[in-house]
Amino acid sequence: MKTWEYIVRRLVLLIPVIIGVTIITFVVSHVIPADPARAFAGGPKAQPETIARIRAELHLDKPIWEQYFYYLNDLIHFNLGKSYLEDRPVTDALAQYFPATFELTIFAMLIAVPLGIAGGIISAIRQNKLSDHLTRIIAIVGYSLPIFWLALMLQYVFAYIFPIFPLEGRLSVGMAPPGPITGFFVIDSLFTGDGTALASSLHHLILPSFTLGFATLAIILRMTRSSMLEVMGTDYIRTARAKGLTERKVIYRHGLRNALIPTLTVTGLSFGGLLSGAVLTETIFNWPGMGRFAADSVLGLDFNSVMGFTLLVAVIYVVANLIVDLLYALVDPRVKLGGG
Amino acid sequence: MEKSKIGNLKAGGIAIILCAIMILVSFSGCVQQQGTKPTIKNPTTYVRYDIGEPKTLDPAEAYDSASCENVFNIYDRLVSYKGNDTKTIHPSLATDWSVADDQLTWTFHLRQGVTFSNGDAFDANDVKYSFDRVLIVNSPDSGVSWILSQCMDLNSTTVIDPYTVQFKLTNTYGGFLALTAFSVASIVDQEYVEANGGVVADTDNTYLKENPIGTGPYMLDHWTHNSEIVLKQNPTYWGGWAGNHVETVVVKSADEASTRILALENGDADFAYIPYENLVDIRNKTGVLIFQAPSYDVVLGLFDTVSDNTIMADKNVRKAFSYAFDYQSAIDDAYSGNLYRLPGCIPKGMPYYETQNNGVPVYNFNLQQASEILNQSGYLRDYLFKGNYYRFNNTPIRIWYNSGNAERQKMALSFQQNLAKLGINSVVSTEGWPQYLQRMYHSVEWDFMFLGWMPDYNDPDDYIAPFVGSSAIGGDTFNTGWANATVDQEILKGKYNVDPTVRSNAYAAAFNIYINDPSLIYIGQNTYTRGMRDWLQGYSYNPVLEYYYYDYYKAYV
Repeated sequence: MKTWEYIVRRLVLLIPVIIGVTIITFVVSHVIPADPARAFAGGPKAQPETIARIRAELHLDKPIWEQYFYYLNDLIHFNLGKSYLEDRPVTDALAQYFPATFELTIFAMLIAVPLGIAGGIISAIRQNKLSDHLTRIIAIVGYSLPIFWLALMLQYVFAYIFPIFPLEGRLSVGMAPPGPITGFFVIDSLFTGDGTALASSLHHLILPSFTLGFATLAIILRMTRSSMLEVMGTDYIRTARAKGLTERKVIYRHGLRNALIPTLTVTGLSFGGLLSGAVLTETIFNWPGMGRFAADSVLGLDFNSVMGFTLLVAVIYVVANLIVDLLYALVDPRVKLGGG
Repeated sequence: MEKSKIGNLKAGGIAIILCAIMILVSFSGCVQQQGTKPTIKNPTTYVRYDIGEPKTLDPAEAYDSASCENVFNIYDRLVSYKGNDTKTIHPSLATDWSVADDQLTWTFHLRQGVTFSNGDAFDANDVKYSFDRVLIVNSPDSGVSWILSQCMDLNSTTVIDPYTVQFKLTNTYGGFLALTAFSVASIVDQEYVEANGGVVADTDNTYLKENPIGTGPYMLDHWTHNSEIVLKQNPTYWGGWAGNHVETVVVKSADEASTRILALENGDADFAYIPYENLVDIRNKTGVLIFQAPSYDVVLGLFDTVSDNTIMADKNVRKAFSYAFDYQSAIDDAYSGNLYRLPGCIPKGMPYYETQNNGVPVYNFNLQQASEILNQSGYLRDYLFKGNYYRFNNTPIRIWYNSGNAERQKMALSFQQNLAKLGINSVVSTEGWPQYLQRMYHSVEWDFMFLGWMPDYNDPDDYIAPFVGSSAIGGDTFNTGWANATVDQEILKGKYNVDPTVRSNAYAAAFNIYINDPSLIYIGQNTYTRGMRDWLQGYSYNPVLEYYYYDYYKAYV
């Protein structure tokens, strides 16, 4: 199977995935006995006309299957509906929050992946040496530290005791966002040639992206280490050494390349997980991203926002897995796409 | 083997050193800074860290407090409040006003030479346009137009000349002047609105939501949803910029309390919302003050007089329960002392508060009295269950609070314990806000709930009518099912009269009835509590006009 055929086939499979996700999310969010219309209209202060209008808009007076039909009809027309908590279309909200979270996740991965892989290699090739113990301690700490505690401690130490980094936010106090072009402040400030905004946005990214990436770093480190240890003990590594290859070539050309397959899987899944689950980091660092948006929407039963967020995350997971599968083939030529 | 042991020992040593560093760092924050005052951060910018964010900046739609506070600062109204004074209404875009003997016709003379922040001139046409716009738009998203439509329609406002406008009310209304000071009565620029979507019946103007233009002291710089809203000085402001005023206002939406606390302590924030349970974290910190004042936010307990078990249908049961509620525990334990007793519907600071037994609460915690009332009413401890005698055939009283509200949780548990002492079985439950509202408005499966109420405008009609007015007069906002025809009459008498004596007598008469047949437990009035830096000057709390940035500046005095 050619690569493009494989990609198309995987993307077509997105359709049943999306339908499945919408059915599950729709049913789960709608069967809870609640009065979201009154909550959106102002709670006890809500005017009866406003409540009635929101109920009609959300078709809450119709059976659930009919409500789902209306939702699906809107979805086919690329209409995700209105976020009642934010009083604007869900697409507008996602267009603002997704780039913020994506930017944070990219920087988290930029910290986690190289450091994790490098740490894993060092740990494996220097097994039971001091550097191995050190990297293993880092991995254990990364695994076991609650993310909110790490975030609070980093804030406390590096923004309060030693005010090296900003406490929160994406830009300095009162600074207008660059653009808007892509919503990625780093890219937008480069496009607009705004050096101040670029420096500020990079400065603001360090603490939250380290927080978000630290646990992933630990996972990648452990995975790379165990995988490297396994690969370095195989016959073909001994053969490579017997051929007289330098240790560097043995490790990077023969060892690492084969050991990277499980690391790639973990990285892909972590990327999807970070995009959808950065709620704690975003809340503590006051990062206006999708995690906070999703949490607020779930608590406020903002159906359209919950559905919109879930759909986006489902697509992200499918695409991330697709990219990982494509990378498998790139890293290991023995892997055939589509099993052919 | 030996090398491995040495490696493990080294690793253990490093781990101990790392732990020691972390502990030292943790304790380092306990050291108080001494000596000179810290440098004022962002000296011309006021930064507030708060929770929640505006839904809209359009006065015809704004109803939630985060939206209204921005409208208050971007737009002006005909009249306004100053400082922390809630009793006196001052001129703003109107220089003076009068009411005719019929109590229906109000004439306002307008300030001349005022311009909107885009340079357009302000005159009486803008006033008529603004009031009519609210009524026509009839905001489908917020429903806030009800505040004006209580006493106005599209024929009410007349332009007499470019600087005189007259309102002919559809009925007399005692709170008319107070509601013209509320955000919904803000004056918009007719030309600007017409050029940007105009006025469409029953439709909110999506452009004005995020693009406000007013005559107020500040104008919008940018608004990043769920992050911050930034206002800058309006250079054409009619009040002028002589004296001390902040140039920029930044209000950040920060959900995490620890972030707000650190921001306040390191000086990033000048002002921050700090929950009661976190006040201990900022107390005695260098440069940080705790500001407290009585607010108009009240805390209530609701009886469902039409619940399926019919227990709360009897007023004597509700009276007994009013005695069984430990008010002082609510103040001390649930609210950490940040609550004032509330004698009736009208909060302290609002006109006609004194009509409620001169502000002295009728009910105080008294289990003996509660027990006597129940016994005299025939609700005896006559049901034996597991060695204890219970009232109401051991039917559990269902007490609810909304999840995440720690104060209400504590009050609910305390109430449960006190009811148990009376031989009353009860269950305390919690659920999310939308589910809570579903229960309140669409179910009879609850007996007691906690709820709060915040002001729309500074008139007792905004409290007494929704609290104890019946659904027949647009009251019973909490769906307690309680109704009393005489109370309704007195409420309407107070509402549709501008004579203070008549209003006072009406509210006193209503109080004497509803307090002896209580549909609510009047628990208290929240203390407005915020953390602030000592360099912030000019701040005063007004429950009607919560933030007025024009008065603020940063300096040590």
